[in-house]
Amino acid sequence: MTPSDKAINPLIIENLCIDLDRSGTRIVDDISLTVRPGEIRGLVGESGSGKSLSCLAALGLLGDGWTLSGSIRLAGAQTPRDIARRRGSDAAMIFQDATASLNPIRCVGHQVSETVRRLRRVSPHEARGIALDLLRRVDIPDPETRYNAYPFQLSGGQNQRVMIALALAGNPKILFADEPTTALDVTIQSQILELLKSIRDDTGMGIVFVSHDLGVIEEICDTVSVMCKGQIVESGSVEEVMRQPKHAYTQNLIAAMPRLAVAKRTSKEVRDASVETQQLLEIKAASCDYRVREGTFRAVSEVSLAVDDTESLAVIGESGSGKSTLGKLILGIEPPAGGEVLFQGQPVPCLGSAEHRTFARSAQLVPQNPYLSLDPRATIGDQIEEPLIIHGIGSDTERRQTRDGLLTDVGLHPDLRSRYPHELSGGQCQRAVIARALCLEPKLLVCDEATASLDVSVQARIIALLRDLQTKFSLSLVFITHDLRLVGELCQSVAVMRGGQLVEHGPTEQVLTYPRHIYTRDLIDAVPERERAVA
Amino acid sequence: MIGGIVIRRVLRAMLTMFLVVTFAFFVLRLTGDPVSAMMPDDTDPAIMEQMREDWGLNRPLAEQYVDYWWRLVQGDFGNAFRDGRPALEIVGERIPATLKLTLSGFAFIVLVGFPLGILAAVNRGSPMDRAIMTISVTGFSLPNFFLGILLILIFSVQLRWLPAFGSERWYHLLMPVFTLGTAGAAVIARFVRSSMLEVLNAPYIRAARARGMPERAIVWRVALPNAAIPSITVLGFMVGALISGSIVTETVFAWPGIGRLLIDSVAQRELAIVQTIVMLTALSMVVANLTVDLLYLVIDPRQRYATGTGE
Repeated sequence: MTPSDKAINPLIIENLCIDLDRSGTRIVDDISLTVRPGEIRGLVGESGSGKSLSCLAALGLLGDGWTLSGSIRLAGAQTPRDIARRRGSDAAMIFQDATASLNPIRCVGHQVSETVRRLRRVSPHEARGIALDLLRRVDIPDPETRYNAYPFQLSGGQNQRVMIALALAGNPKILFADEPTTALDVTIQSQILELLKSIRDDTGMGIVFVSHDLGVIEEICDTVSVMCKGQIVESGSVEEVMRQPKHAYTQNLIAAMPRLAVAKRTSKEVRDASVETQQLLEIKAASCDYRVREGTFRAVSEVSLAVDDTESLAVIGESGSGKSTLGKLILGIEPPAGGEVLFQGQPVPCLGSAEHRTFARSAQLVPQNPYLSLDPRATIGDQIEEPLIIHGIGSDTERRQTRDGLLTDVGLHPDLRSRYPHELSGGQCQRAVIARALCLEPKLLVCDEATASLDVSVQARIIALLRDLQTKFSLSLVFITHDLRLVGELCQSVAVMRGGQLVEHGPTEQVLTYPRHIYTRDLIDAVPERERAVA
Repeated sequence: MIGGIVIRRVLRAMLTMFLVVTFAFFVLRLTGDPVSAMMPDDTDPAIMEQMREDWGLNRPLAEQYVDYWWRLVQGDFGNAFRDGRPALEIVGERIPATLKLTLSGFAFIVLVGFPLGILAAVNRGSPMDRAIMTISVTGFSLPNFFLGILLILIFSVQLRWLPAFGSERWYHLLMPVFTLGTAGAAVIARFVRSSMLEVLNAPYIRAARARGMPERAIVWRVALPNAAIPSITVLGFMVGALISGSIVTETVFAWPGIGRLLIDSVAQRELAIVQTIVMLTALSMVVANLTVDLLYLVIDPRQRYATGTGE
C-alpha cells in the first residue's frame, strides 16, 4: 500500500490490541482493518467478541482503564489528540439504542442544529435550515413539526434516523454503526439499511457496520470481517465469506443462521409425528383493553385461534402488534375484555384467583430476558425447585430429583444448581428459566421472545432444545417472536398479528411460501437475507 | 392545562394548611394553660379564672375552634396575651430577619452543594472526589447547634474575627448562614454527585462524545440539566430542613427572627403567635413543594407531556 492510499482511506487499523487494565485480560487481540471510501465493512461476531470495543477505540472513546497498542489512523489522524478532533467532523458513530442515545430533555431538532452549528461554524439561523435539510435527508416525516419533538415522542426507528442526521452534521468520512438496527422491527430495519446505503452512495463515506446478524451483514455490507474472541478470524467480500467460509467459527455462524427456507423440512417432520390430536387451547374472538389517559386502548381485537395438543404455534408481529398481550390473555395475566379464552374447554381463570393457581400448573411462561426473570440472589437450583414448593408437590428428596432431572433435560450439568444467575451465560440462564417453567409439568408453554436477547448460535441451540423438549414432554407451544426466520424451525402454524388484529393464520409452510395478506408479504420481504427463496 | 394542575395543587395545599392549623390548635390547647404559664404560682385563683374568662379560654374547645376559624377567615390571627398586640404584627416584624437568614442559607446550599457535587462526579475516584466526600460526611454529621457553638468559639472567642451575635451588617450573616447551610450543602453535594455519575454513564453522553462535543459542554449543558431533575426534589425537602434549622440557628446566634420568637412563644403559651408561625411555616413548605413541581414541568418535557400539559 502506497502512502497516498493511506491518506485516502478513512480508517486504517493495524495490529490493534486492547487490554483491560483491571484484570489484565486482552479483549481485542491484534486486529487489522482498513475501510476504503464508500466501502461498507461488516464486523460480525457474538457478544463479547470485541466488535464495539474496537469501534470505540478507533474513535478514541475508550477512556481510562484500557491499554491500547498498535496503530489507528482515523481520517488521517493518528495521535489521540488529533483523533479526538476528528470526532463529529470526520468520524461519527450511531448506536443500538437510539432513543437512549439522544438527550432526553431537548428537542431533537435543537440537538441536530446545535451540532451543525458547532461543526460547521454557521449562524443559528443557518444551522436550523441545515438541520431541517438533514432531517429531510434521513426521511423524517414532516421535519418542521418533528424538529420540536422530544426523543420520547418519536419511535425507535425515527430516533435512529435522527441519530443518523446527527452523524451527518459534520460530513463525516467514516461512520461507525454499532448494531443500529438490532432493536428495531424488521420492516423498519430494512428501511434504515436502505437509508444507510443511499447515504453511502451520495457521500462516499466509509461505514463500519457492527452486527451479530449475518443476514443483515449480507444485506448491506460489501466486505466483512468475522470476529471471534478478540481476533479477526476471517475477512473478505461478503459473497466470498458467505459462500465459502474458511474458518470453522464462520462456518458455525452461518450454520446457526436462522433461515426462512428451513421451514419446509422440519415442519413436515413434526407434523407427521402428531397424528390424532385434541384441542388444548381455544381463543374465541378475544379482546384485551388497556386503560390509558384518553380512555382505553384495544391491544388485542377479536382474535380467534386454536392450539392443539403438542402443536406449536408461532405468533408473529412487530412491536405494538399485541402479540405479548395475546400471551398474557392465554396465561390469564390479563382478563379478556370481550370473547373467551378456553383451556381444555374451561375459561382461563384470572391471575390471583384460587382457580388460577391450579391452572398455572398447566400453562407456563418463558419470558424474553432470562437475567431479569431470575432472582439474582437465589441459586438456579432453588429457583427451579421453587414452583414445586409453592404448589406443595413432593418431598424434599423428590423435589431434588426432579430438579436435577430437569437440569439434565435442558442441557445443564446438575452441578450448576448451586450457581447464581450472574455466574451463568445468557443461554444457560434461559435454559434454567425453561427448566423452571417445566417443573410443574405444564401442557402449554408460552415463549415470549424467548430467544430475542441471545446470540445467534445460542439462539439456534435454544430452539433445538425447545423442539426436543416438546417431543419429550408432549408440550404445546405458543412461540411469540418478531423474527420470522425462527418460525420455520419450530412451529407448525403461524399467526400474524398487526395492530391488535389477527391478519393471517395457517400452516407455517403455506404462510411463509404463499402469504395471502400483504402485511405478511412485507414482513417476509423485509427479512434480511438474499437467498430467501424456498429452495 | 397547566392551570388545571395549579388549581389541583392549590386545593391540596389548602387541605394541608387546614390539617396543620387544626393539629396545632388542639395540641397547643391540650398541653398547657397559658394563664398559669404566665402568672406566678401564688396568684389568686379567682384572678386566674377571670383572665381565662376574658380570653375565652374556659369555653368548650369546639366552640373556641370554630371561633378561631371564624376570625381567621376575616384576617384576624388573634392577639398576644401579654401586650394585646395582633399576632400577625408581632410575627411580621420578625419575618425579614428570618427570610434574610433562610434565603442566604438556601443560596449557600445551591452555590456550594451543586458545584462540589459536580466537581466530585467529574473527577470520580480522584483525591479531590475523596476530599469532597469526606468533607460532606463531616458536614451533615455535625449537628447545627454544635457547629454554631464551635464557630463562635473559634471565630468570636479565640480569633475575635467575627461578632457572636448581631444582625445589622453583612458579616453578621457569615456564621449563621454557614451553620444553617452546611448540612444541606453536604447532602446536596452527595446527591448531585451520584445523579451526575449516573447521567455521565448514560448512552446519550457517550453519543455526545462520539460527535465531538467538548467535555465542558457535555458536563454543563447535557449532564447537569438531566442530573438536576432528581436533585430538585431534594432541594424541595431542604426548605423544611432550613426552617427547622433556622430555629436552632437563631437561638444560638441570638438572631432576631421567627425561630427565636417561636421558642419564646411556646414557653409562654402565646397561642396566637405560635399558631401564626406554624401556619406561615406550613405555607412556605406548601409553596416550596409547588415550586418544585412546577420546576419539574419546566425542566423535564417528559413530565410536561405525561401530565397532559404539552401541546
